[in-house]
Amino acid sequence: MLDQLIISGIAFSRNTIGLVVRPYETYRRIIDKGSVWELVFIAMLVMISAFRFVVAAGATYVLVVVLVWVVGHRIGGRGTLRGVALGWGYTFFPTVVWFFTTSALFVLLPPPRTTSVAGVVFSGMFLVFSVTLLFWKLTLGYLTLRFGLKLDLARILVVAGIVVPILGVYSVVMYRLGIFRVPFI
Amino acid sequence: MSDRTYQKFVARWEKVIDLPPQTLGPLTPLYKACARLLKVMPWPYFVLLSIAVVIGLYVVVGSAITILVTLLQRGF
Repeated sequence: MLDQLIISGIAFSRNTIGLVVRPYETYRRIIDKGSVWELVFIAMLVMISAFRFVVAAGATYVLVVVLVWVVGHRIGGRGTLRGVALGWGYTFFPTVVWFFTTSALFVLLPPPRTTSVAGVVFSGMFLVFSVTLLFWKLTLGYLTLRFGLKLDLARILVVAGIVVPILGVYSVVMYRLGIFRVPFI
Repeated sequence: MSDRTYQKFVARWEKVIDLPPQTLGPLTPLYKACARLLKVMPWPYFVLLSIAVVIGLYVVVGSAITILVTLLQRGF
């Protein structure tokens, strides 16, 4: 078990760099050869960045993986649950980076933002940062469906068309319950 | 062809037929061009696209983007 954990730790580190530099090739490797032990390291990252709502973050992860798996298989997906679970696990990287950075900025430059020049410039930079991470997240989500379920673009859009509204309703419910403001998906 | 080369060829062949190439009819060249940009070091394109999105948002809502950022900063 310790051997597997160490090997997975090395693979996790390698994949972390790969997600930034070569996401396509890295995702192919993760889905083909990745170990579920790598999820331990992803879970640790999530626990650090989302310590206030770690249970809800874990539940959301399970919900998304199950939804994607069920919907993907209904429309002809051929992959494995392990592949989808690993692939979606690695999509937490942009989420974790965003929550870390936003937490740090909350301390360094606490809101509210004003409409002064400095406030607007900071807001613009923060939004560019957030949208860039969103694009990264979307790319990794696409690669999860492409390699994890071996779907083509049309079917990926169908899965997204079904799963995204469900997650939208789920996010609203979590917001009303006071668990998430920005959903940790 | 040596055994090792042949095995490499078979492994590569299996990888290719496992996931057929994506086609989108007349949009296939455009898809392939976009996909090629995102396969290796996609960050410059992500950032450029994000800047365009944020400038567009600023043109539409003006300095109200600060309200959105305030909401996001309080969002965890």
